[in-house]
Amino acid sequence: MRNSLVVFLKELKDTLRDRRTIIFMVAIPLLVFPVLISIASGMIISQAKKAQAKTLEIGLIRHGNAAEFSMELLKNANVEIREDIEEEQAKALIRQDELDALIIFEKDFDRKVEDFSQGRIRLLMKMTEDSEIEKSRVLKLLTQFEDTLRMKRFQKMDLDESIIKTIKISEQNLATAKEQLAEAVGGFLPYMFIIFCFMGAMYPAIDLAAGEKERGTLETLLTSPVDRFQILLGKLGVVMLAGMISALVAMLGLYLGIRRMTDLPPELLKTVMSILEVNTILILLSLLVPLTIFFAALLLSLSIFARSYKEAQSILSPLMFVVIIPAFMGLLPGMNLTMGTAVIPILNVSLATKAIIAETITVPQLAAVYLSLITLAVVSIYVCSKIYGRESAIFR
Amino acid sequence: MIVVEDLWKTFKLTRQQRKEKGNHSQDGKVDAVAGISFTCQPGRIFSLIGPNGAGKTTTLRMIATLLKPSKGSVTVSGFDTVKQPLEVKKKLGFLTGTTKLYDRLTAEELVKYYADLQGMDKSSFEKRKDELFTLLDMNDFAKWRIAKLSSGMRQKVSIVRTIIHDPEVVVFDEPTVGLDVITAKNIIELIRNCKNDGKTVIFSTHIMGEVSLLSDDMALIHKGKLIYNGTYKDFQSGMRGESLEEEFIKLIQEVRS
Repeated sequence: MRNSLVVFLKELKDTLRDRRTIIFMVAIPLLVFPVLISIASGMIISQAKKAQAKTLEIGLIRHGNAAEFSMELLKNANVEIREDIEEEQAKALIRQDELDALIIFEKDFDRKVEDFSQGRIRLLMKMTEDSEIEKSRVLKLLTQFEDTLRMKRFQKMDLDESIIKTIKISEQNLATAKEQLAEAVGGFLPYMFIIFCFMGAMYPAIDLAAGEKERGTLETLLTSPVDRFQILLGKLGVVMLAGMISALVAMLGLYLGIRRMTDLPPELLKTVMSILEVNTILILLSLLVPLTIFFAALLLSLSIFARSYKEAQSILSPLMFVVIIPAFMGLLPGMNLTMGTAVIPILNVSLATKAIIAETITVPQLAAVYLSLITLAVVSIYVCSKIYGRESAIFR
Repeated sequence: MIVVEDLWKTFKLTRQQRKEKGNHSQDGKVDAVAGISFTCQPGRIFSLIGPNGAGKTTTLRMIATLLKPSKGSVTVSGFDTVKQPLEVKKKLGFLTGTTKLYDRLTAEELVKYYADLQGMDKSSFEKRKDELFTLLDMNDFAKWRIAKLSSGMRQKVSIVRTIIHDPEVVVFDEPTVGLDVITAKNIIELIRNCKNDGKTVIFSTHIMGEVSLLSDDMALIHKGKLIYNGTYKDFQSGMRGESLEEEFIKLIQEVRS
């Protein structure tokens, strides 16, 4: 063990002095969440505020009908109506973003409503994602108008509104805030950890195996009176630590990013913060340890096959997809932790994290996840040590 | 002492290598070293010479325990390289001309790393390091990172790394390849010093000048087989050509024909 520690300390010092590794291990994971969160939330919030505060310009062609609707719109300070407009002219103005919507009442709208039949209204506007808020505001105005007409119709018939509503559903959401949050972002969280864990481990693994081979220092290292397995353990420790640090720094970045979100409702913020409790983080870390060992052994095994740093990069980079796919599957709706999915590496970490956040994980499920990950870690170390013992890999 | 007995190393070629080398043998194997035997004595310098691909590096790697022999045996200071590799490594220093260093460590850190791997205790390391750093005039750049050192300074660090544990046997694989004259001179001096200290020294080279300058004993190797094995003096006295280079080429051509 003493020799493994000597190798570990030297490799750690060497790695921490490598600017490229520091960028991938610390800088990117630390900055990516705060930057992404502030850009995304800033954009979403400002767009939403803009859309809500904006005065809606609505073209109205009534053909002498729905005077009441027109009056209602006039009362609304955030709505400006234009009634002196032709349909084609209004369409052109909408396309040029000079008018938000055009509402056309059919010619005998009032008569049809009076006769207890349906009066038709055409709504013309740009129905894109950007104009979602404007659309909902216009629809709200129309729904309010419809409610008024319905009430009048019922009064005329001397009926109570409840006659057409045979049942009244009162919904009560029993899912805890954590469960709802786990459903919404629980899959995304491990997806990011897993990727950062892999990315953070990748560059040290390349440097410690292929880089050492390219420099020719591997030969001199192997002529030292140290067992190859001990050398491997020292290197494995550093690669693993780099992956763990990267994932932890990503978590820290996420925490800082959320803290910066001033517009988050306090209740949601409290729930989000409760996820970042010491207990939750410790359980998540205990999942990451065997996963990182697996990543480290996998990356070192493949990296030692490469003749150079560049060759190792080209071998390892596509591996990212192998990691992303099961991590991404955890994001899919309906994908839950079962005894079956608990033994699928990477996917199990993704789903277990979701279940840990939602506090729905069971002991057998957690045990199955640990068992699967620990088995994988042990097997990967064994395979890696076999590869390091092969002359054809070392002197390729 | 190094004793090499009927040493063989057979490599399995990949399909690509077979294509490149024009090797059409059914099993796709090649004998990089084919039954060589020689002995290197303490206090003497043994040079291993031969053209590219002769099997020099493979032989030295087997002596240094980096490769396992396919057949035959190597003993270093009485220890078998296959059965007692860790004992062999404790007695051994290994330096190649192509080996680089860890750029992000300082000269002192790098030497300390290898000393730690050799299991040296702190006081004996400090004593030996001070001695070697002073001898090679390295104290000024002891705390500099390797990346900032000149090639001459780096070579000095390599030398100290190789002999920090005062090995009984030193293996040099083409140690002066690609070096400037002054740096190469340092290596030549190191090899001589090792001999004077009573160490067993084996080195491989292409440069005939180094052979005549340093060798007590020599072996000429071609396509994995030994063409000559004896003292340098005997080789010199039996020379038919005017120079060592000519004799070397003649011997290779005779084997080829």
